[in-house]
Amino acid sequence: MTRWLTPLRTWGLVIALWASIAAVAAGLPSRYGATVVQPAGVPDRYEFDLSDALRRARAEGKRLYVYLGADDCPYCRKYEAFLQRNADVLVPHFAKDYLVYDLRSSLQVQADRLRFRIGNQSWSYKEFMQRLGDERARLLVYPSVWLLDAQGKPLMQMPAGTGTFETVPEQLEILRLEQ
Amino acid sequence: MTDLSSSRRRALQCFAAFSAAPVVWPALAAEGGLPSAAHSDSSPQWERVAASLFAGRTPRAGRDVVQLHVPLRAAYGASVPVKVVSALPQTPQLFVRRMWLVVDKNPSPLAAVLDLTLEVGQADFETRLRVDEYSHVRVVSELSNGELHTDSRYVKTSGGCSAPPNRDALHLIGKTVLKLPAGLKLDQPTPADVTVVHPNDTGFELNNVTVMYIPPHFVRSIKISYDRRKVFNADLDFSVSENPTLRFNFVPHGPGELRAEVTDSKDASFVGTLLVSGAG
Repeated sequence: MTRWLTPLRTWGLVIALWASIAAVAAGLPSRYGATVVQPAGVPDRYEFDLSDALRRARAEGKRLYVYLGADDCPYCRKYEAFLQRNADVLVPHFAKDYLVYDLRSSLQVQADRLRFRIGNQSWSYKEFMQRLGDERARLLVYPSVWLLDAQGKPLMQMPAGTGTFETVPEQLEILRLEQ
Repeated sequence: MTDLSSSRRRALQCFAAFSAAPVVWPALAAEGGLPSAAHSDSSPQWERVAASLFAGRTPRAGRDVVQLHVPLRAAYGASVPVKVVSALPQTPQLFVRRMWLVVDKNPSPLAAVLDLTLEVGQADFETRLRVDEYSHVRVVSELSNGELHTDSRYVKTSGGCSAPPNRDALHLIGKTVLKLPAGLKLDQPTPADVTVVHPNDTGFELNNVTVMYIPPHFVRSIKISYDRRKVFNADLDFSVSENPTLRFNFVPHGPGELRAEVTDSKDASFVGTLLVSGAG
């Protein structure tokens, strides 16, 4: 009996801690000027339309920084908090080359319900990743970031999650497309 | 489903992601304090591994004999593509006779030891490794004259929240498939792939249903032969990713059977074969 109590208590503490982290407002900090994209087709599917993003990128000659976060994802809050803390340094670098798009999802939305749309074409998560040649087709991880050019082509293979660019130098590495 | 069970499931999803794709827990990484290193740097772990493996011999660092290609950031820490390129062809005068792959910071740093023959033709290899946290990945080549050469790359991995890994194909464990992705090249190094369907459980993965750790169960060795002649033997560890895959070369001099003999850590044996006939 005692053997089961300890892990249960541990889980309870972990859940409480994560719930408190997740309770912080979701989304990229406003200073980054991100365009928020809400999903269509909810709850059967979460379809994010990137048509406007690509149109703007072509018109303004900029790259796209596409962020997929979930409202109940502790690691998303952690990355967003990092961006908030370092906005003075990072915002000019984002603004110079990138249009930032903030796709709002939820952890319960896994790859089978997540979709992307460009114009009148719509793809499942896996199909869209395969179309991009992105290795992350295998597993959807929150948060995810895609760096796209104005034609919607990936600028480099990004890692799952954001844990490898949560320092200022590493975020700048990403923005400079260092591989 | 209650809110509590829903939250618990989500928490488990995050735990599953971090245990299945063995990665550092970013929540514990101090802001601005993540380690950084140059590709050519040493590490305390590497010093210990090198002392143990090479007993006083110091591998010569550089990229003129052997090169390691690994992305700075891979899509997944659980499946980091690693490519080894050798500058020398395998000739009787001088050839690569042994190769080590090391991931400094992994719980078991020595990922693979390859025992090579001239039948390889060209000692280039590709595989996928688990990289547990920010770490150097290294290759060491031992030439037939006893020289040791090494190259290294620094790799950054982390994780996030995801669905648990797919474990629906356990009945296929051991299925061993050989392919020639570029066709057959008689009397020339011919690329081949061997893939073993296997979870390659590390022992550090959490079962998100039982909340118990999954016992280690991984491929221990792959022996490749062609026409009954040894091409190479690979001793492997759980740093190799799920469904271990090796791309290698062999030199076919005529029709024959390409054969892979596989054993895992539970002493199960598996065999995969590919009949090779005619020029491709």
